Amino acid sequence: MTLWDLKQGNSATVESFCTALQSEYRTRLSELGFHPGELIACVLSPSLGAPKLYRVNNTVYSLDDSVASLITVA
Amino acid sequence: MTSKTILIGSPNSGKSLLFNQLTGLNQKVANFPGITVNIKSGKSTVDPEQILMDFPGVYSLHAISGEEKISVDAFYAGLADPEVSSVVCVVDTTRLEKGLIFALQVINACAEYNKPVVIAANMTDVLNSHSMSMDMDGLAAALKVPVVAISAKSGLGLGDLQAVMASHRDSPSAYASTIAAGNVVIGNAANGDIIASDDSIVHRQAQQLAASFGPKGDLLINSQTRLDQFFLHSWFGGISFVLIMFLLFQSIFTWAAPIMDAVESLLQLAASVVVPLLPAGAVSDFVSDALFGGIGAFLVFVPQIFILTLVVGMLEDSGYLARAAVICHKPLRIFGLTGKSFIPMLSSVACAIPGIYAARTVDSPRKRWLTYLAIPLMPCSARLPVYSLLIAAFIPATGVFGRLIGWQGFAMVSIYIFGILCGLLVTALVSRSSAALQTDLPFVLEMPPYRLPSWKPLLRNAWDRSKHFVTKAGKVIFMVTVVIWVLGYFPNQGADLGESWLGYMGKIIEPAFAPFGLDWKYGVAILTSFLAREVFVGTLGTLFGIEGGEENVISLVEHIQNSGLPIGAGFALLVFFSIALQCVSTLAVLRRETGSWRLPTQLFVSYSIFAYGAAWLTFVIVQSIAG
Repeated sequence: MTLWDLKQGNSATVESFCTALQSEYRTRLSELGFHPGELIACVLSPSLGAPKLYRVNNTVYSLDDSVASLITVA
Repeated sequence: MTSKTILIGSPNSGKSLLFNQLTGLNQKVANFPGITVNIKSGKSTVDPEQILMDFPGVYSLHAISGEEKISVDAFYAGLADPEVSSVVCVVDTTRLEKGLIFALQVINACAEYNKPVVIAANMTDVLNSHSMSMDMDGLAAALKVPVVAISAKSGLGLGDLQAVMASHRDSPSAYASTIAAGNVVIGNAANGDIIASDDSIVHRQAQQLAASFGPKGDLLINSQTRLDQFFLHSWFGGISFVLIMFLLFQSIFTWAAPIMDAVESLLQLAASVVVPLLPAGAVSDFVSDALFGGIGAFLVFVPQIFILTLVVGMLEDSGYLARAAVICHKPLRIFGLTGKSFIPMLSSVACAIPGIYAARTVDSPRKRWLTYLAIPLMPCSARLPVYSLLIAAFIPATGVFGRLIGWQGFAMVSIYIFGILCGLLVTALVSRSSAALQTDLPFVLEMPPYRLPSWKPLLRNAWDRSKHFVTKAGKVIFMVTVVIWVLGYFPNQGADLGESWLGYMGKIIEPAFAPFGLDWKYGVAILTSFLAREVFVGTLGTLFGIEGGEENVISLVEHIQNSGLPIGAGFALLVFFSIALQCVSTLAVLRRETGSWRLPTQLFVSYSIFAYGAAWLTFVIVQSIAG
């Protein structure tokens, strides 16, 4: 399952990044807290395909489907 | 001896607020030598020999966007500067792990340049309010750099921070021995090419440090999630977005009106006192027509610039702008843009130049280029005096709920929406007609906590912006006004404007503007406004001032109303000004940002043709409706 599939209110652990995601973005996502092993919660999933809000540590980020669907979670 | 201290930190770490606290009102904004990045600098309030430099916030020293690269390059250039005695890295203690990843990179970079670094552990007031704490001494011992607990908001610990900065300045050699003793040095940040294992090490270290010394517990307040659920709700979010934008435009027109009236009355009073004291003739006419008529007409609009900057700054400071970017992301994608284009576009409502700089945050070069196409069509504050003048001349000053929501405000909202729609239309057409050369970069945006804006920096920013507007635009307006006045006053000493040098020149160009109902005076004002849009108001003020003779002190709005300008021409002028790229500074900054004159030239020519055609069409339609 990808991070984009995560339902509002649910949490999951990051497993890996898809290879389609460029390496500098993988580095940046890791720096922001989206690194393998980290627990991520989906705090808001607006309708109409708008970017979703994910909470990692004490920070909330908005990610759209182009990036959240390239992060595998379990 | 004067020494410099660099302030660096992630966005939303409270770095700029700390800078404001440490420097008070004594600040200036300057470009770092050779690099086009705005770095504020100011003298320390306790030590005038200490200059603090506020660098733009970055998430990492591994830049992924154009703006970050410029900021990171500026930081390394600062480290190489022998006058820089120390670096203060601001870390948000409520989000310690993320802050420490950046702090470790900064410590590493500083070690390479032999610069002492101090960690300012900010937002300890938030920890205190949650009855939490962190082990500052333990963290300092592990990092081998001083860690000072502060609250930029409340001022807590700022004295301690200044004491550490002073000690670094007085004994820089102490730091070299610390490095020799072994610091937390990881990878090679200076070359920007850290391999994956190094990133993992940094991350693991940050995680361990945060776990060992950071606050224990959950700090994210539930109210933030509740507010997000409201402001990003499918219905309430959209409605509140429209309402907030509507209030923004109402504030700059309807609510600014009393201040503008006061400025206008003041100028009229000054004119009535000063002009009679001067000897009759050219000097008196010049002061009356060119100074009070021309420059005075432009000064009336400064309160609007102030209010606009204040309200946009307030929205940014409150955390709402990031939510607005999320709301706009999906709709903007239809037009080939991204939610990140929203902030540069909204900044362009104040001025296109900060908007162009803000477009650096759009990571994707293609979307950044598309954002550049939209920016000159955003209704910038230089258009505001022109819009305000024409709306005041053609739209009745009535409304509903007293004058709280007026028709003139509605007209202003409409012309603003028109400009924005034109921008979106252009990007949609261009993005569909030109093939994408690369895949889109992902949308990742931090949601800053909601907070009450800090009024002092906001008011200062609005004041600076207004001052900049008056001094920069004022110089151009003054020069144009003098030239226009001389050409309009001579050779017949203002007896007949139509027979003046300017009258002859204006009649040559008159046929170009006749298709949308404008006489030569408006034609001259349009031509001069290609230097800067607001010059239009000053030029018209001067021209009507000369024409009006002794009665030149009446407002420019009345002059326009009395000039018999058809309503279709008024609307055509509004449309012309909302499209044409009449700003030399915007063209110059676009050239600097894109590295060539190609894009500015293309935009100038195409938007001029577009503006002319749309203005003519508007005149024909409105005149046929008005009969």
